[in-house]
Amino acid sequence: MNIKLIFAIFVGKTITYLLKAIGRGATTAPGLYALKIDPKLIEKLSRQIKYGSVLITGTNGKTTTARLAYDILSTKYKIIHNRQGSNLLRGIASTLLQQASLLGNLKSDLAIWEVDEATFPEAAKVVHPKIVTLLNLMRDQLDRYGEVDSLRLQWQEAISKLPSKTTLILNADDPGVSFLTNVHIGKTIFFGINATKINLPQITNVADIKHCLNCHSKLSYSNLLTAHMGHYFCPNCKLKRPNPQIFAQNLQFKSNFSSRVDLILNFPRPRQATRPRPDEVGKRGGQLSTFNYNLPGLYNAYNVLGACAIANALSIQPKEIKKSIENFSAAFGRFQKIKMGKKQVIIFLIKNPAGANEVLRTIAQKEKLDVLAILNDNIADGRDVSWIWDTDWEVLASKIKRITVSGIRAWDLATRFKYAGITLSNKNVYKDINYSITHCLRNLSTKDTLLILPTYTALLDVQKSLNKKGALVKWQLQ
Amino acid sequence: MATAITLNICHLYPDLMDTYGDKGNIITIIKRCQWRGIETTVSSISINDRLDSQNFDIYFFGGGQDQAQIIVGRDLQKKAKNLIKAIDNESVLLSICGGYQLLQEYFKTLNGEMIKGIGLFDAYTIGSTTRMMQNLLIEINPDLQNQIQSSYPTTQPSNHPTTQLVGFENHSGKTYLGSEVQPLGEVLIGAGNNGEDKTEGAVYKNAFGCYLHGSLLPKNPHFADYLVLKALQRRYGQIKLKPLDDTFEWQTHKSAINRTRSQS
Repeated sequence: MNIKLIFAIFVGKTITYLLKAIGRGATTAPGLYALKIDPKLIEKLSRQIKYGSVLITGTNGKTTTARLAYDILSTKYKIIHNRQGSNLLRGIASTLLQQASLLGNLKSDLAIWEVDEATFPEAAKVVHPKIVTLLNLMRDQLDRYGEVDSLRLQWQEAISKLPSKTTLILNADDPGVSFLTNVHIGKTIFFGINATKINLPQITNVADIKHCLNCHSKLSYSNLLTAHMGHYFCPNCKLKRPNPQIFAQNLQFKSNFSSRVDLILNFPRPRQATRPRPDEVGKRGGQLSTFNYNLPGLYNAYNVLGACAIANALSIQPKEIKKSIENFSAAFGRFQKIKMGKKQVIIFLIKNPAGANEVLRTIAQKEKLDVLAILNDNIADGRDVSWIWDTDWEVLASKIKRITVSGIRAWDLATRFKYAGITLSNKNVYKDINYSITHCLRNLSTKDTLLILPTYTALLDVQKSLNKKGALVKWQLQ
Repeated sequence: MATAITLNICHLYPDLMDTYGDKGNIITIIKRCQWRGIETTVSSISINDRLDSQNFDIYFFGGGQDQAQIIVGRDLQKKAKNLIKAIDNESVLLSICGGYQLLQEYFKTLNGEMIKGIGLFDAYTIGSTTRMMQNLLIEINPDLQNQIQSSYPTTQPSNHPTTQLVGFENHSGKTYLGSEVQPLGEVLIGAGNNGEDKTEGAVYKNAFGCYLHGSLLPKNPHFADYLVLKALQRRYGQIKLKPLDDTFEWQTHKSAINRTRSQS
């Protein structure tokens, strides 16, 4: 019996009940207060979870990767996952206490925790991670997270303290992430994209890593895929991209925003640093399988790879992995198709230059775009809107049929578009988000699709507005 | 035969000092020149590149991560003489945050480490534990205000308040000015140089330093045009800029100021 824990759970559950009774979300407050009563709540409850937890973090893609992993792993495990909730410690605590019995018993045998980049070091200490997955690390809301370099040092410290039985899953293509294998005493699995050609428009990159983390020489790339991710090597020391065991080749991104990708699972890492030729797969081990899934762009290929690596490490059969991924539909606001009567809306969340660039690159595959871009500067969006100038809107200039801007900093976007050579009428600038959506939908013909690109808090307003207008979406249950 | 009017822009260390969206300043200078038929060239000058004192009309130096700033600080020493010479010959320079700090006498970090600057600005910076991170609104210093007002080309002179600058600051270094420099302006909302003496930025000849990200120039077109005009006049003598339709820019300027006021 643990009186403190039981009292914390009781209080957390009561707050949950009260919040739900008044129709509010209960993903943050219950955990926040329960942790005040028993700061060890997460540690104590996590101990009960038989197979431990899968921890997923990174600047871009953590929500989608965690949801993909959930869909695949739930074919075999009883999973607890902060799917709807906050990705801070309080969100993990809320999820745990809501599923626990009043006496603190849990039925799940595996946890999947999506965690905020800055929360990861704290979370790694308390959730008994069996697997830690690091997707990428890029500039994002510098006013919240600080610099990429200092965040990476915090990750490094956290990883050096992981036990040897924890498996590390790392993106081989991000030099700042793959480097972290050096401080881990246990096993590392790498995933990456081996293709050298991508059928997406070229984009001006924003790179946060330009120098070798060993010797500070300038890094070279035989193939740069996005931001600072690709096939890199240091011309001065021996640092280079590790060969991944899980990788993708022959990537085809289609104009209906679906993808066809050849994935190779379980490829044994060769002792010598040579990249496997496509014809070697199968002969030298590794299973090749072609995946067709309903997610666009290069960034989602990385999310799929991350989820495959997790599933593979937890002994899910390739056939099951493929089935779950091909049936997956995207998470809230991250590429979400919504029917509005006979008209269609697709939402792409944008929140930082590298992520937004990949969205722009993906939509620039099409012509005559009808776009509504919404920029807010609340705390969750980042107060500083400078990042829109690091984002390559220029790639859309020749692709726009009509563009509208909205949000608290609508005029900042309007000016950005003017300087990107995108023609925008000052009649298409609306601070009010609901009004901007009404206006865009009214002028949208039934054949066309409206692409909405909101920042995080703007996305919440988009959701409310579309619901009011009768969208048939159960947002929270996605 | 008339040759096209050209401005040569030098982007200092764009590969290392590019973290805070300051690229918008370069885009703005290029576009505002282009819309007036002025040609521009942009040269990236980084580690180990030679910097000539006569090649450029405008220099831009943005902010970067701490580690990058140390690497750049070392390399900048080799370029110091020519850069200072260029500024003494009336070239125009805009530096922001990390770039601004490296052009001062020195930067003493929180751990007591000294990063040597090049002393273009008579100022120094001391690391602090406070992060000064918010929208920043300043009143431009009176001398400069007059020059900007008389130089900004507009068809509706009274409509636009050319007396302020607005942007976003994000720094923990506190900058203190010596007697040889003027502040760029007086802080109305935010911290500015150090959060103590109400000064923001520094001016020495045509060189400007400040903590204004945002990007700065797109939403402060009067300052953008002032920099362009100063650079043109240095090379071509008395010259006037054609007015542009700056409706969007001024709306952005105003809405950023309103946002700043609502948060203070």
